[in-house]
Amino acid sequence: MEEAAHIEKIAAQAGLLVLLGPLVTGFVQKLKARLQCRQGASIWQPYRDLAKLLRKGTVQSDSASPFFRAIPVLVLAATVTTTVMLPVLWASSGPALLPLGDAILLLALLALARFLCAIGALDAGGAFGGMGASREMTVGLLVEPALMMAVFSVAVAGGTTDLVHLAARRATLPALSWQAPDLLALFAMLVLALAETGRIPVDNPDTHLELTMLHEGMLLEHSGPGLACIVLATHTKQIVILTLVAALFFPLGLADGSAPGALVLAGLAFLAKLLALAIFLGLVESSYAKLRFFRVPQFLGLGLVCAFLALALRIL
Amino acid sequence: MASSLLWLTPLLSFAVGLGMLLVRDRRVLATLDVAGSLAVLGLTLAITNRVVQAGPVGALGIFRADHVAVLFLVLIGLLAVAVSIATVGWMRQELARGHMRAERLHYYYALVHGFIATMLVTVLADNLGVLWIAMEGTTITSALLVGFHGDKHGLEAAWKYIIVTTIGISFGLFGTVLVYGAAAHAQGGVLAGAMNWSSIVAVAPHLDPGIIRIGFIFVIVGYGTKAGLAPVHMWLPDAHSQAPTPVSALLSGALIKCALFGIIRFHTIARAACGPEFSQGLLLIFGLLSVVVATPFILAQHDLKRLLGYHSVEHVGIIALGLGFGGRLGTYGALLHVINHGVTKALVFLVAGDAIARYDTRDMRMIRGLMGIAPLAGTLLLMGALSLAGTPPFSIFISELMVIQAGLAAGRTVVVAAFLVVVVIIFAGLIHHVGQMVFGTAAASASREREAHLPMLGMLLLVAAMVLLGVYMPAGLDRVLARATEIIIG
Amino acid sequence: MSVELATRLIDVLGALLLFSTLLILASGQLFRAIYAVAMQSVFLGIAGAVLGAATGNPDLWVIAGITIVVKAILLPWLLIWVVRRIQIPREIESVIPINATLALAAGIVVLAFRLSASLGPVRQAITGNALPVGIALILLGVLVMAARRTALVQMVGLFASENGIFFTAMAVTQGMPLIIEIGILLDVVLGALVMGILVLRVRSSVDTDIADLENLKG
Repeated sequence: MEEAAHIEKIAAQAGLLVLLGPLVTGFVQKLKARLQCRQGASIWQPYRDLAKLLRKGTVQSDSASPFFRAIPVLVLAATVTTTVMLPVLWASSGPALLPLGDAILLLALLALARFLCAIGALDAGGAFGGMGASREMTVGLLVEPALMMAVFSVAVAGGTTDLVHLAARRATLPALSWQAPDLLALFAMLVLALAETGRIPVDNPDTHLELTMLHEGMLLEHSGPGLACIVLATHTKQIVILTLVAALFFPLGLADGSAPGALVLAGLAFLAKLLALAIFLGLVESSYAKLRFFRVPQFLGLGLVCAFLALALRIL
Repeated sequence: MASSLLWLTPLLSFAVGLGMLLVRDRRVLATLDVAGSLAVLGLTLAITNRVVQAGPVGALGIFRADHVAVLFLVLIGLLAVAVSIATVGWMRQELARGHMRAERLHYYYALVHGFIATMLVTVLADNLGVLWIAMEGTTITSALLVGFHGDKHGLEAAWKYIIVTTIGISFGLFGTVLVYGAAAHAQGGVLAGAMNWSSIVAVAPHLDPGIIRIGFIFVIVGYGTKAGLAPVHMWLPDAHSQAPTPVSALLSGALIKCALFGIIRFHTIARAACGPEFSQGLLLIFGLLSVVVATPFILAQHDLKRLLGYHSVEHVGIIALGLGFGGRLGTYGALLHVINHGVTKALVFLVAGDAIARYDTRDMRMIRGLMGIAPLAGTLLLMGALSLAGTPPFSIFISELMVIQAGLAAGRTVVVAAFLVVVVIIFAGLIHHVGQMVFGTAAASASREREAHLPMLGMLLLVAAMVLLGVYMPAGLDRVLARATEIIIG
Repeated sequence: MSVELATRLIDVLGALLLFSTLLILASGQLFRAIYAVAMQSVFLGIAGAVLGAATGNPDLWVIAGITIVVKAILLPWLLIWVVRRIQIPREIESVIPINATLALAAGIVVLAFRLSASLGPVRQAITGNALPVGIALILLGVLVMAARRTALVQMVGLFASENGIFFTAMAVTQGMPLIIEIGILLDVVLGALVMGILVLRVRSSVDTDIADLENLKG
């Protein structure tokens, strides 16, 4: 019985995040459009785009290997698995939601997804694929250590890398026991969130001009349902990152059991945090121009230094 | 009565400076200048008299004059007078050559007296915060003076000067804050008195040594920047060479000594709090570094005033070495060197200014045969250079000898050996440079104007002091120095 | 306000001060650096107010207010006025690449915290992390001055250093005497004015930035 209940919870959480992902993207698009004084597409447009892609057929490059067909599915699988390692609505100090994984596994799965995308792009043999892949991996090289350090600085204080337990512990402390390293880690995470979600000033998610793409460059060779899988994975990754920020730094309103009242409250809190972070993304995207690629390391360097200092100050 | 002298002295100088802003006539300005300086010297001598007879005197809770302070006070007063007298002739030449514009004259004089006023406050301050504020005040006024001519080199020098010294004494401020924190902690809470040097020294043995150590490091880097200790001395040759000559004399002769005064005050506290080895060790390192670093630049120098600037770095290093060797002899020698070097360096700057005006160049390779066309100036330059190099019978020889003796007594033979090598090299270099300048035949382009003897009075005054201290130590001075030494080493 | 809460708030404000200094180091444009130092001064003023509430010392409120007015409004406005007046190129040239500067900055902050962790019980005299943050800020200000070639950015670095000193000074036991703090602020303003004058005078006679002049050598 316990197992069944747990599997239900897992499926529910995964489904919730996967389904909400495109909505977040749609919301950010709408916000940007409004800030630019135009109507913009509706917030449900990403769903329509996914449906359209699923209806289409697949075209594959001649030079791609059979493994190429498997990549979109693998990427989606990796990303969806990360959705259940986060405290979204539930955070109990009891046994974990099936010992599925902690923060390290989460970051590793995201890195795996990125790696698979890059491999696929190189496999297809196109020039833009290669360029996008190399740029994306460069960004990944800078972002992943910083992300690890930021997460660790919070984990060191909480005494565990399991995000659910971490959130549960911090939720009970007065004023969430915020300290100086937490602030630095938050700044670092906000900078890195921009990089991980592929937004301005690191990457432009709306463009399909070859020379300005990082992430989009890797997706050029995919089509049809494969592309739908990868696009869905991108949406999911975005919402996972945002939920990670919310769970690490604002673990408020998380339910402790299955009481319906607590769940509703937790759901509202979660939506509020998502909304705030989505507004942050939209505002940043509208306020800045995309950085030239050789300036991206400087921008990410700031995030790296903040994350490093957060960890160092925590240990010292 | 005596305590009001303390705040009256800088106030007078400041008031003279303000008053000068209203005057336009050149002669009136010059008279006010000399009169103001003479008054300042008189007041400092009065304070000295009072301190010698009846001990340290305080005023308003923020000023205090003890035996250490009066040494610096009299030095400032003496240099102010000598510089004012020399400015009379110098200004006339500058106006004639068009380097100085008549309508900006009063700004210059006002700034000079403001500068002197801030230096006086620095030396008279008991409150460490007031000491810092006055030190920053000297930076601001002298930066405007360094860049007074407005040419590219002058402005570059002024910029480097103000940026480097401001950031430097900010370090000093941080050190002050740390010392204040330690003192307040030791006294269990804040008191206005916790910023006063006299109260801090009284509780010094109870201060936490760790924080005093960090504080002293910040102080010696900070105030050391202002004093011209290597490796933060970079601004000094630029600023002292680009400034108008009387200002250079004041900068090299008095200002860097005031910065050393600040270091000495903190050195006393640090000695009592963490034992003498720490602060003396730091002073030794900085002193030796300054002496060694200055040497190659002195040898390879072409610009006369830059040469003198590097020379100031070297001598500040010698003073730091004296304090670093410690003990009665070292400290006495260091304090004596403060006076000796101040007097001699100001003299040499003033004479050099005269020579530069005559030949219209600062390049030493162009200056030849000074003795032939201006015998008095040539003699003075030769005497000054010999003195700077440490030759008897001039005063610097005595104080350098004391420092060396102190070093040997403290067992630092390696440092002393290095020091001696450097001194010999500098001696050779200096004599070579000055000998070439003074002897030989002058070029035709040099001005053969007859020497004006009245402005030379200022320089003669300094020469007299220089020679006097070289052959004879007045008993009064000896007592003051001894008492000052006691105050420092506790 | 309890001591515990005050220490917590000072810690958070210290982190904000550090972050704004990192922003100064990472900024490639003059205006960003100026806004960052203005932001830093605002945080400093808030810290003063927090300490004033915690210790009950009214002087600290006055200092907080004056800090915000002078260092967050007046001095940045002065800098921006100079920039607009003489049309300086807005890009900041750096002697050391930005990433290397940021790496050095990380090292300096770690060093500062290590240094203050080695002190003993006297650490209690200074609230929260004001001492290591103060040391870090001073050294980072010097780093800004050493690593950048634009005169106005060097002034920004100077202001950042002074903010660090003020932060520590305000947190020492019950703050330094009011007169001294006002005197120091006055000196900073006068110094900034003189520097501004020098920058303007160089601009009017020579067409380079004053920090770029390198004629005096040897």
